[in-house]
Amino acid sequence: MGLVTLASRGIQVHRSRLGGAAGAAAAVAVAALALPVVRERILRFPLDFAAFLLFVLILVAFWTIPSDFTRRMRKNPLSVIGFSLIAFFVAVALLAPVLAPPPPTSRDAYLIPQRGFAADPQPPRPGHPFGTTEGQYDLYYGIVWGTRTAFRVSILVIAIAVAIGLLLGGLSGYYGGKVDEAIMRLTDIFLAFPGLVLAVTVVAVLGRSLTNIMIAIAVVHWPIYARLLRGDILSVRGRDYVEAARAAGAGDLRIITRHVIPNAIYPFMVLSSLDMGLIVITAAALSFLGLGPDVGYADWGTLINLSRNWILGRPGEPFAFWYVLVYPGTAIFLFVLGWNLLGDAFRDILDPRLRGSA
Amino acid sequence: MAGYIARRLVLLPVVAFGVTVLIFALLQFLDPAIRAGAFITNPNQLKAIDAIIRKYGLDQPVYVQYWTWLREVFTGNLGWSQAARMPVGEAILRFFPPTLELTLFAFVPIMLMGVWMGTAAAVHRDRLIDHVTRVFSISFRSLPSFVWGLLVLMVTYGRLNWFPPGRLSLEADLFVRNPEHRFVAYTGLMTVDALLNGQLWIFVDAIRHLAGPALTLTMVSIALLVRVMRSSMLEVLNQDYVRTARSKGVAEPVVITRHARKNALIPVITLSSLTIVGLLGGVVITETIFNFPGIGRWGAFAAQQLDIPGVTGFTMFVAAITVLGNLLADVLYAYFDPRIRLQ
Amino acid sequence: MTRLRKLLALAAVILLAGLTGAAQGQVKNPDTLIYVTFADPETMDPAYAYDTASSTIILWHIYETLVFFSGSSTGTFVPMLATEVPTVANGGISPDGKTYTFKIRDGVKFHDGSPLTAEDVKYSLLRFMFMDRDGGPSELLLAAILDTHGTRDERGALKPGLFAEADRAIQVSGNTVRITLKKPFAPFMSIMAMWSMTVSKKWAIAQGDWNGTAAGLSRLNNPKKPEDTTMFNKANGTGPFKFVQWDRAARQVILERHDTYWRQPAALRRVIVRVVEDFGARRLMLQQGDADIVVVSRPEQSGVEGLPGVRVIDDISRLITDGIFMNMNINVAGGNPDVGSGRLDGAGIPPDFFADINVRRGIAYAFDYNTMIRDCWRGKASVGNGPIPKGMFGHPSGGKWYAYDPARAAAAFREAHGGRVWTTGFRFGVLWNTGNATRACIASVLKANIEAINPRFRVDIRSITFPTLLQQYRESRLPMWILGWAADFPDPDNFVTPFMHSEGTYAKAQGYRNPEVDQLILQARFETDPAKRRAMYAKLHEIAYNDVPILYSYRVDFQVMRSWVRGWYYNPAFFGPYFYPMSKQ
Repeated sequence: MGLVTLASRGIQVHRSRLGGAAGAAAAVAVAALALPVVRERILRFPLDFAAFLLFVLILVAFWTIPSDFTRRMRKNPLSVIGFSLIAFFVAVALLAPVLAPPPPTSRDAYLIPQRGFAADPQPPRPGHPFGTTEGQYDLYYGIVWGTRTAFRVSILVIAIAVAIGLLLGGLSGYYGGKVDEAIMRLTDIFLAFPGLVLAVTVVAVLGRSLTNIMIAIAVVHWPIYARLLRGDILSVRGRDYVEAARAAGAGDLRIITRHVIPNAIYPFMVLSSLDMGLIVITAAALSFLGLGPDVGYADWGTLINLSRNWILGRPGEPFAFWYVLVYPGTAIFLFVLGWNLLGDAFRDILDPRLRGSA
Repeated sequence: MAGYIARRLVLLPVVAFGVTVLIFALLQFLDPAIRAGAFITNPNQLKAIDAIIRKYGLDQPVYVQYWTWLREVFTGNLGWSQAARMPVGEAILRFFPPTLELTLFAFVPIMLMGVWMGTAAAVHRDRLIDHVTRVFSISFRSLPSFVWGLLVLMVTYGRLNWFPPGRLSLEADLFVRNPEHRFVAYTGLMTVDALLNGQLWIFVDAIRHLAGPALTLTMVSIALLVRVMRSSMLEVLNQDYVRTARSKGVAEPVVITRHARKNALIPVITLSSLTIVGLLGGVVITETIFNFPGIGRWGAFAAQQLDIPGVTGFTMFVAAITVLGNLLADVLYAYFDPRIRLQ
Repeated sequence: MTRLRKLLALAAVILLAGLTGAAQGQVKNPDTLIYVTFADPETMDPAYAYDTASSTIILWHIYETLVFFSGSSTGTFVPMLATEVPTVANGGISPDGKTYTFKIRDGVKFHDGSPLTAEDVKYSLLRFMFMDRDGGPSELLLAAILDTHGTRDERGALKPGLFAEADRAIQVSGNTVRITLKKPFAPFMSIMAMWSMTVSKKWAIAQGDWNGTAAGLSRLNNPKKPEDTTMFNKANGTGPFKFVQWDRAARQVILERHDTYWRQPAALRRVIVRVVEDFGARRLMLQQGDADIVVVSRPEQSGVEGLPGVRVIDDISRLITDGIFMNMNINVAGGNPDVGSGRLDGAGIPPDFFADINVRRGIAYAFDYNTMIRDCWRGKASVGNGPIPKGMFGHPSGGKWYAYDPARAAAAFREAHGGRVWTTGFRFGVLWNTGNATRACIASVLKANIEAINPRFRVDIRSITFPTLLQQYRESRLPMWILGWAADFPDPDNFVTPFMHSEGTYAKAQGYRNPEVDQLILQARFETDPAKRRAMYAKLHEIAYNDVPILYSYRVDFQVMRSWVRGWYYNPAFFGPYFYPMSKQ
């Protein structure tokens, strides 16, 4: 009982705080809109801006509509930090063309514009707020658009891995027997490689490119999802309500979609949010090993690879080129940290075994 | 338990077979001309590429090619690694001992510190030490290993000149190589060999070179262990027998070390062999950064050089180690978990 | 817990004990020179090696040549294994310029202690010629002495009678070796200064190498891999350093002083050549004194500039010409990703796109040479006006070249392919070898320049691995590529032939054929009057300007070393440093 009142009081406090924050954000937004540069950029990319507004709406709705989930989340400051970090990165990704508009001559917005071609990185200066890297690629632009790349890579990989995992894990768990045995041995085979090693091999064979990196990482990640779903199905299958549904004449597909998958969603959310960060790290590691996209593509791993020759600074000035590592390093760190915190939060909230001990 | 292990052993060849099929299937994505490249040793042979494709049967049905390839693999002919400039088999024998040594040097601190930090966090749950541990472990795993590696190299070698890259310093390397000194490589592990040969300074030198990469590996890999240890410990601390011990007035440190931690270690022991497997993946990055002549640096270099026989040989070897590691994990699990042991 | 603490304490003690050993300030390893580079050698075999990494190690360190370059000159020679440099005046060269007589020095000992004889020299020259691996260096001697390009006919069989001919061309009597050329060949002495590396015959035969007879040739000829020759991983020469070990896994070669060297033994007791790819690691080794000389590429230069205790020597002239090559007859058989649609429709180029001189001129005018030189070469290169680099005989210093001029470029493109280039636009690829930052930079400049001329112009820039690049340009698959050429011997012929002769390495791949050029090159090769020869090369450069199949540039290099390294000097013909006179203090 005490817990409930405490929680409801928490909500009230949060509402008022959120109101203040929203007001401040709105004020900043209005001020920003007053600037002709901002208006012009928004008019140039109305769809991206609309997507951003939609995201803000969803975010506000999610955070204000009371639910067990958000209530639990608010109790842990680390979870709130994780949630905010990810919300921030989503906003940056959606607003990328507004924050860093591609030059009019650009043929692919993901290609970072170059300011000259010289090797030595140049420090932050007007027009290049984060400085420029080796080859004079603009770091700010690379990091903003690299956010989109990070989401694209991690979401696509998760989508592929989850799709394969759902299909094979579903078949395995539902039909059991020989199908199960065969599919589980298949996962054994894929799990017989440390993730990075298999990914390195796949990229080496298929060739260097972002698409191949995504394929390589998806190949590494699907078995975990398949096993997870299989385990869930096995635990659900014997339960009374499934037996009842079956007795009532429900078909296999209906049982899977109505009863099994809804139950598996939470563990999938936990696992995939923890995976998002891991995927971005693996992709960056491949870029670091020289197996990533071409230099000049907006990708954090590639940017860090460009910093390799400069992290030691100049003689007497050990931190002369701090910006080449600090900016992309911070971006990747915060992104991964956000997902890790969020994943931990999801686990604490959604994992029923730990719930009781809270 | 015997049945459980026997079942695992039966499955081993199945998985091994599957690994070869997977690797071979991957190779099928390559153009026959590129696969023929594995048999090419100088540019002028390129003109005769069709002849090479025919000679090695690369235009034959897939299952025939697979059989040919498998036979070669099993007779130990893994091809020629252009990146290592030696046959793949020889490269593995050459590069594995340094990696094994590095792995062991990272493994010990990971286990000791992981258990210690995990226990401390669980015992002082939701207090400062728990939060600090969590923040540390989450930060460690949120920053990519190559950033850690570069930072460690920068500070410990560039600034402090403590931990140089490579495997041995010049003096030690020349001493070991010089036949007059009769330095015998009993194990291939430099630290052990140095002690067996009675050369303490080489032992110290080897440690200095191992410290940097081992430190990096430790930072990156410790998080998982801390988390498993913490939750395992939490679970055990809630068990009836621990409560009983406490209520009987057993001193708290004794409860923790004797009663709780012993049982909480079971999942950690299972995890230990998997940690070694994880480290084998981690060495690809670390060895590259520290220029440490192990299997990971070779694998990464082979991938960059598109040395396909090298990459496949490296991958298959690591897969073999991983399969054995998984088996060991299963056995340890079966041995320590009474539910299975008593079956 | 206490056990853990004890362990940690022990570890700390051990570490501290090790750390105190590292003292700063004084010369590290005073009698050992450590040279750190990023390219692995291919072999130690002097007849197989044809890459700069291998030559850096073996040439003049393990194996010596009959004559050597005098100081930094590439045109004057000093005796090495011969007692004097043959000239017409001292009777060493016959008046018709075809016969060279070398007196072999007495008292020269191989590393195994056996004495050098004239027979060893003859054996080494024959072995060099008849190893003749595909793509190897043997052609240099075969062409000079026997006026032939290979030892095998089209079917790959050894040409009958060729060995007998070679056996006759190289005569040994007592301690002299007399070599008779088919035709007088001006650069022969330069070739002897680099490609007459002498091995011990007795030792070689004992190792199972070629037995010195015609019957043994089939086993010697055209080895498939570097590992297939007996001298791949062992050596016995006369040089100031003997080969100790090449550890391919640790990627290092150890050389040790030859104490019974025919001159004063080297000051350095040991030379170690290490391969470390990562520049950051190489730089750290230099900074900590664990490397004495490191190879640094131009874009990385600022990372070593001003390091305490480190000397950077810049403006070292090299006999290298870099080029941007345009392919006039692109091979599109079986599909080619770098020509887009393969038609002149705005999404690709036809195979004969660059055959139109207006396209080539347009590109020559569009390219911003000054930006390339400033940003890609840090100002340490100059615009070329033909294949012969600056500082080499035959380079016409006043030769004309194009200057960055977008208006003229546009005018040329408007005329190209009947105006269709301008109205429909194009798309093609420019390629270079992955990892070469300078070339990546040049490609970016080129792309930006060409695309700025007309929004319908599109250039894709792409890097591929070095072996793939070599293979693909030889197959004429690349529309445009960036590469360089380093001299095999310091003579202009070694530049005009690959860049301009219709059968030359590059010109052939580009489909460039100009009968006047072919004739001029042959005439100049055998011309003995320097003034006439110079005029012919000036004419060739003029044609290079008019036909413009290649955009040239000449670079200067730099060398980075600890300032305690003494005795370093450079000759443009060197592939790497000459260790013999060097020391550390």
